[in-house]
Amino acid sequence: MNGIDGTDRQVKTDEGPPPSLLAVVLDTNPHAWAHLSSTLPLSSCIAALLIFINAHLASGNGNEVAVIASHSHRAEWLYPTPHTTSPSHRSKLNGSTSSPNGTIKIPENPNKYRPFATVEQSLLQNFSALLSSTKEAHLAATPTTLIGGALSLALSYIAKSVLRHSPVDTGIENPLSALADSESSHTARVPLTSRILIVSVSGDLANQYIPVMNSIFAAQRKRIPIDILKLAGDTVLLQQASDATGGVYMKPEQPEGLLQYLMMGFLPDATARRSLVMPSAGGVDFRAACFCHRKVVDIGFVCSVCLSIFCEPNLPDNLCLTCGSYLSLRAAQTATPALIPRKKKKKKRAGGGDSATPGGSTPAGSSTPMHL
Amino acid sequence: MADSDYSIDGEDASDDEYVGPKAGSSTRAQASSGKRKAQATEIPKPRKLAWETEPSEAVANPVEAAEEIDEEVLEKSVQEREEDRKRKRLRKDTKPFQRGIIRHVVLVLDLSETMLERDMRPNRYITMIRYTQEYVREFFEQNPISQMSVLGMHDGLCIRVSELSGNPAEHIAAIQGLRFPRSLQDLPKEPKGSPSLQNALELARAMLYHTPSHGTREVIIVFGSLISLDPGDIHQTIKACVRDRIRVSIVGMSARLRICQEIVSRTNAGDESEYVIATDQELLRELLLATTTPPVIRSTEDTTTTPAESAAALMMMGFPSRVVEDVPTMCACHGNLTTGGYTCSRCSAKVCSLPVTCPSCQLTLLLSTHLARSYHHLFPLRNWVEVSWERARERGSRECVSCLSTFPEVPPEDVDDEEMQDGERLQSKMDGDAARQRRMDKEDSEEQKASESARYECRACESHFCIDCDMFCHLVLHNCPGCLSMLNPASEVQENGDVVMTG
Repeated sequence: MNGIDGTDRQVKTDEGPPPSLLAVVLDTNPHAWAHLSSTLPLSSCIAALLIFINAHLASGNGNEVAVIASHSHRAEWLYPTPHTTSPSHRSKLNGSTSSPNGTIKIPENPNKYRPFATVEQSLLQNFSALLSSTKEAHLAATPTTLIGGALSLALSYIAKSVLRHSPVDTGIENPLSALADSESSHTARVPLTSRILIVSVSGDLANQYIPVMNSIFAAQRKRIPIDILKLAGDTVLLQQASDATGGVYMKPEQPEGLLQYLMMGFLPDATARRSLVMPSAGGVDFRAACFCHRKVVDIGFVCSVCLSIFCEPNLPDNLCLTCGSYLSLRAAQTATPALIPRKKKKKKRAGGGDSATPGGSTPAGSSTPMHL
Repeated sequence: MADSDYSIDGEDASDDEYVGPKAGSSTRAQASSGKRKAQATEIPKPRKLAWETEPSEAVANPVEAAEEIDEEVLEKSVQEREEDRKRKRLRKDTKPFQRGIIRHVVLVLDLSETMLERDMRPNRYITMIRYTQEYVREFFEQNPISQMSVLGMHDGLCIRVSELSGNPAEHIAAIQGLRFPRSLQDLPKEPKGSPSLQNALELARAMLYHTPSHGTREVIIVFGSLISLDPGDIHQTIKACVRDRIRVSIVGMSARLRICQEIVSRTNAGDESEYVIATDQELLRELLLATTTPPVIRSTEDTTTTPAESAAALMMMGFPSRVVEDVPTMCACHGNLTTGGYTCSRCSAKVCSLPVTCPSCQLTLLLSTHLARSYHHLFPLRNWVEVSWERARERGSRECVSCLSTFPEVPPEDVDDEEMQDGERLQSKMDGDAARQRRMDKEDSEEQKASESARYECRACESHFCIDCDMFCHLVLHNCPGCLSMLNPASEVQENGDVVMTG
């Protein structure tokens, strides 16, 4: 059928690997990097990351990269460079938005491949700007990092890039069909393969559980693998992210060998991974932690209204700690339909006079439970 | 955009043929009808049949426009129209309602001879079978801890296609089995005879009888016929359904029927928007998929319902851990030999997939990720508002926060605005803020339109986004990249409610 109507003639298939977009989320949590500074200082991590990015760019002509810093108080673009959007900017420049103050001067160096220089320059400049804008108050405010925001930025950037690469999709694709069959029909048309690499050092990310989970499901739906390189700390959330999206999870024993891990473990793109055996996390702990004591539970009690998990059924005043609705435990037990037990008497009689009157033993069938 | 084809269609689907009393419905019912209308309006192009298209919309408007205005403006208005169309798909109402996350749904398929009609290709029956399989998959994607059962109205009887269970594969296999039976003895169930709504409702009521009270009880009927051949008084059945808190939604295929309207309005507290008609197959699919969103819980149930029955409950659930085995062992759910699986946390029976009810001890087993899948229904991302040029100038935004694509440039300010005194400007800014606040409150319930500056603003973090990110964030991601990129607890609470929901 499909062959006849001639639609396949419009599809132009490129030879060679499809372009690949790599979105790197670099966790720049100052607290965690301070712990790591003896083994792997942040500067050498960035140096290794730049080499890795160059390797990615070099491995395909159409390859692209995006780098996002997940800092303690904000998630910030490192590459590409965003233009600053400030209300005060308007009064100075009188609304004329023609002079982009975000452009970065690239020193001319004939010995450097230009795309490498562009990425390196803007990444370093944006990063130093981010560090210099970090105040002590920001550090004191939180010990963790905004991984949820960085993931959301990466995902929407990837979504937009995919649209740009296949502009045909924008008109035809309707959201509900995208929800329903994101697997089958869309991957065939979209030439851009993308993936996310999270270089994570922070431990506890539980405060962003919902945003990160939403991001994971979005990545799952869009078939974007999330790779995790965990240099320090430990969090189940990111393990689940890589497990659910089919990414690589690595927790190296020696963070000093960062470049080696990056190059060997994370450089292959989706096309190459099909013919490789990729390292995986092994068993992922999917058990839930209760909301009241943060204990990992095997059997939990779940509020039917807001789906909060509690470790014990005795809540104060039987009110849900999260949404405050009154919860009854009585209704929790599913009322399975009880069968009416067969009458014993009949059995006895059947045993006694079975052979005598065959007609008498015919079951009357009255004990079948009826609902209607 | 009153003249857009979608709003016309939307009214077609829900408002035009309103018969029942609407004024008496509570605010919640109204709000949910608003939601439903939104879903009815999120209809893509194909719904419009060729003869229904008014030439004025499709052709004449741009031509007229071209006469009046120059090329550049025309191009922009076309783009705006496009964005308008995209925005229509967004849900209008994103207020966090309490929704019935744990659903018990009986899907009733019409297997009567009317389904052999060929107005859908190749015929209604095959179209329905195809879409319902997709529907089941999407339903369990959206509602992982819900239960479903499939019935069929065949030759006056209501037959049971699949039992109430939470396993999508079983239902899909059973629906496929209608056309291609797995065993050679069974004949394929070809559409035959007349349907009986009463029989279907009675059987559905019986199936939902023992479901726990904290879950919803829903019947979704795909109905192609224009008659219902009932053995008794269907009004008694409707009464019984109301008493049992069963909510019926009907997706019709031919014309609107009075009895369907009555069933739906009686079981949905006077709200008739659950009765929709699919005029072609694209719309059928859309309308089916629209029911995958969990229904809102109405605060005031009918007087027939005792309050204790609809009470929320604490559900005992098991969160099993995965086991890896070298030697295959028998699973408790199917009796197949499998390596690996999950062991029930209470009785240690091995099941092969989750979520499932433990076959030996009846404990609900699931993963914490299944619960997390439902969170975006509970904490929806609020709609973003259109940005006027004035506002865009004020914010000085030049590119989308999340994808860094550049916005069209802000046109130069008016001269009189330029000459304003500083104090005046401040005053006008404050007025503007107040007006904006008012407008935002108002727009919360209004329909989504395209923005003149191609920017869309999140109310909480005041970041500006492009239309594609707007769509992506609201339909797929359910996060606001702007709010989450800033450490501002106030905005986070407003946005996703994640402060309370940690785990």
